[in-house]
Amino acid sequence: MPPDSQQTDRNLTLKDAVLEAMFEEMESDQNVILIGEDVGAAGGVFKQTEGLFETFGADRVIDTPISESAIFGLAVGAAMAGSRPIVEVMFGDFLTLVMDQLVNQAAKVHYMSAGGFNVPLVLRTGIGVGGNLGPQHSQSLHGWLAHIPGLKVVMPSSASDAKGLFKAAVRDNNPVIFMEDRMTYNLKEQVPEGEHIIPLGSAEVKREGADVSIYAVARSVHTALAAAEHLQVKNVSAEVVDLRTLAPLDVETIVASVQKTGRALVLDGGYQSFGITGEIAATIGELAFDYLDAPVMRLAAPDVPVPFSPALEAMTVPSAEQVVAKVTGMYGGLD
Amino acid sequence: MLTKDKLLEFYRGMVTIRAFEEEVRKMHNAGLAPGLVHLYSGQEAVGVGACAALNSDDYIASHHRGHGHCIAKGSELDRLFAEIIGRRSGYGMGRGGSMHIYDPATFNLGTNGIVGGSVPLATGAALSAKLRGTGQVAVSFFGDGVLNQGILFESLNMAALWSLPVVFVCENNGYGEFTEIDDVTAGRPYAKRGEAFDIPSEKADGMDVLAVHEAVSKAVTRARNGDGPSFLIFDTYRYSGHHVGDKQEYKDDEERELWLSRDPIPKLADMLVAGKKIKQAELDELDAKIKVTVIAAANQAKKMPEPDADDLARHIYAA
Amino acid sequence: MTDNLTPDQNSAILDRMLLIRRFEEMLIDLAGDHNFGHYHLYIGEEATGATVVESLTETDLLLTTWRNHGHLLARGADPGRMVAEILGRADGYNKGRGGTLHLTVRDVGFLSTSGLVGGAVGLASGAGFALKQAGEDNICVVFFGDGAMEEGVVFEAMNLASLWSLPVLFVCENNNSGAISAQEGGFPSSEIAASRISDIPKSLNIKSELVDGADVAAVHAVIAEAVGGMRKGSGPAFIEAYTERWPGSRPLWPTQATGVTQLAAAWDPSLITGEYAGWIDEFDPLIRFIRNQLDAGVLSQDELRERDSKICDQIAEARAFGEASALPGPESALDGVFAA
Repeated sequence: MPPDSQQTDRNLTLKDAVLEAMFEEMESDQNVILIGEDVGAAGGVFKQTEGLFETFGADRVIDTPISESAIFGLAVGAAMAGSRPIVEVMFGDFLTLVMDQLVNQAAKVHYMSAGGFNVPLVLRTGIGVGGNLGPQHSQSLHGWLAHIPGLKVVMPSSASDAKGLFKAAVRDNNPVIFMEDRMTYNLKEQVPEGEHIIPLGSAEVKREGADVSIYAVARSVHTALAAAEHLQVKNVSAEVVDLRTLAPLDVETIVASVQKTGRALVLDGGYQSFGITGEIAATIGELAFDYLDAPVMRLAAPDVPVPFSPALEAMTVPSAEQVVAKVTGMYGGLD
Repeated sequence: MLTKDKLLEFYRGMVTIRAFEEEVRKMHNAGLAPGLVHLYSGQEAVGVGACAALNSDDYIASHHRGHGHCIAKGSELDRLFAEIIGRRSGYGMGRGGSMHIYDPATFNLGTNGIVGGSVPLATGAALSAKLRGTGQVAVSFFGDGVLNQGILFESLNMAALWSLPVVFVCENNGYGEFTEIDDVTAGRPYAKRGEAFDIPSEKADGMDVLAVHEAVSKAVTRARNGDGPSFLIFDTYRYSGHHVGDKQEYKDDEERELWLSRDPIPKLADMLVAGKKIKQAELDELDAKIKVTVIAAANQAKKMPEPDADDLARHIYAA
Repeated sequence: MTDNLTPDQNSAILDRMLLIRRFEEMLIDLAGDHNFGHYHLYIGEEATGATVVESLTETDLLLTTWRNHGHLLARGADPGRMVAEILGRADGYNKGRGGTLHLTVRDVGFLSTSGLVGGAVGLASGAGFALKQAGEDNICVVFFGDGAMEEGVVFEAMNLASLWSLPVLFVCENNNSGAISAQEGGFPSSEIAASRISDIPKSLNIKSELVDGADVAAVHAVIAEAVGGMRKGSGPAFIEAYTERWPGSRPLWPTQATGVTQLAAAWDPSLITGEYAGWIDEFDPLIRFIRNQLDAGVLSQDELRERDSKICDQIAEARAFGEASALPGPESALDGVFAA
């Protein structure tokens, strides 16, 4: 059993919440398998799959060679044949190695077969900046994936959401990319026991506000919440909308929020150029222009590789201070 | 010893594919089959001999030159034509085309537009079959160009490590697009690529349907008995070049004639007639019947409507 | 067996091995004072890197992996600037942007250090191609681990190297033996169905040799022969150098499992103690090489102590230099995304 499942205190870390979801889904459906590098006996490099191997055995928790491309390709074939694989790709940076199988195969099979085949699988990967891992282990490439029709992209910000979204992802009949920011792995909160499903495509307002809407996913949600606290001091009431999934995108909730507040800032840990901030901003521009009191603003990672040095790394992550500055700028400056 | 019925089944299969591809050529030349079409003419013995060794619920995964595999595995001719000419009754509602034909009813994981695409798909289906204990086997068909793709090497390694019920079938027609395979492929013989992973590997005559059938049958038995993958290379030839319209200036007449003299269809016909299993006249009659069936299927497909605008965005996500 | 190396060469190799060992030991200590992330040490594999470079010229090119410190030091990189890079400081070889995973030194011939498994191998065939086009007799050496043999790109790169007879020396440092096994809840090392790793390059018609990576003379013999042939145009070669994994090697952060190396253990068995005494006695390439040199009468205990003491001083200076180096200015994070 997962480490914390027997506790009456249901405060779980995000990492353990996903682990619990995996336990439950593997228990209830024999066809769910976990496949990836070091996911088995080792329990994952971040201990994120601990205990699964002991419970479900080597047939269903499969350690693989370091062959990302073929591992993911195998998972697509297995999904077409009736399995429901969860594939771990250790770092989101290594998505570059699976892009062909993901984009040219997984995303298109259902369409090309006119619904004949489904590809029910989850690609789980850790993303984001932190821990001085350097340029090849720190990227946030979710914008690439959300660009591809046929892929679903999920980015939880909290433990409870992570569990509910992960369970929904495993039960979804499509290829779902589940991206966790490693810096949120140890965030704790109350997590419902047992059946707890959050439908993909449902954003959530994490903090209600009246003056400005801040849109974010994953770790950036916490940045937005921290900024909202600072803004409160300046008498700006910020609403924080956690998109939770990029595809499908909950356009209704996005628009409803800005219709109320009249101002919008889109925040993201990925690059700004051609990234998700532009997409959300354009959506708001198209659908809620008449409600806007100011141009929609964006704040995302600067367009540079993520450097290793502790002195430089933090500069590539949008901060709460920067959010506050952006928002106050929308009012022509406040103090 | 194969029965007369089985041998005739091989014959029918190969003649059907040859006739089908001739119709595709005509359709393409008439502007009906847009894009690129890659014909299987010349390689029929491989697809037919291999698929005849499979159960109906065994998986295949194919490549861009894949019409022959679809036919050999039992897809409906009119729906295949329909897909190739972009009609709504095609296997992908005309949205995949020749290189993207999927048929779940015949456990066909698809033709594929990416070199090497079939390899992990079949290997993954074999993994799933093994985990679910279904007894199914999967065959990956791929061309010689895949011998140089890293994903083949990664998949061979995992298939061997986990003893998966998969048969890797390399159809070596001598050319990757317009480049001779021997010019771009290191190491001889190519079967060593399988042997390096301790996978039983062999080369056989891809212009002889009986040789193909025998080699694949052995491999399938091995896979079904839990003894893991096999790696087979069949030397064969594509008469029509890389795609319809390829002038094939990179081949000389001598080479063409050599391979035509090894054509698998007359080879099998001669054997049947010489062995007094059937008269040539009966084979001629059979040929004519098959041609009628194929043309009827082609005509049926041509009558089918094209997909409409509502079909553009259907099936992007499964329910 | 030291016949194939001159006394000067042996002496240089010993100095490199000592330098690498003391550098890596210092890093374990440094990690106690600074957080510089996940890192990998070359302890137990010194004989390979320190000896391979003996066959190289100044104009040869090299590529390596996250386990790069030994290769860089062996080629003469400045330990102080390496420490600075590992700490993310402005004086680091990559101005602090690479850290230990991407530490690379163009001045001593390194093109790139990849943080991705097999990542440098594709580049190596490209470098070999350029060298061949240039028409000189330079070669390219790429170091990688046994796990890289699971990546498709390695196979593709080797096919091209073989096909075009490129001067690329593939050095697979196989430290799988003795890796903490999956059964113990550790990490498996490589997962390869091939009976021998070298069967894979052999299937591509690449000359392949297997050698004890902890045996200086043996490494030199196979490398010198392979490199000699390559310079004459005989095409690529593949060397699998196997070593018994150093017990301190752990999935994320190394531990000082065998203590700070006591060189006197080479002649005083009473100094070989603890849980991993067996590794020290049998597999430690440094102890093995010291014994060999003492037995051959070309090294004395006093001389060894003296040289070690100098190297330890050099390492202390390097550490001090790195620690004193300033962090780069934050504005520099945005520089250099594109070449001029």
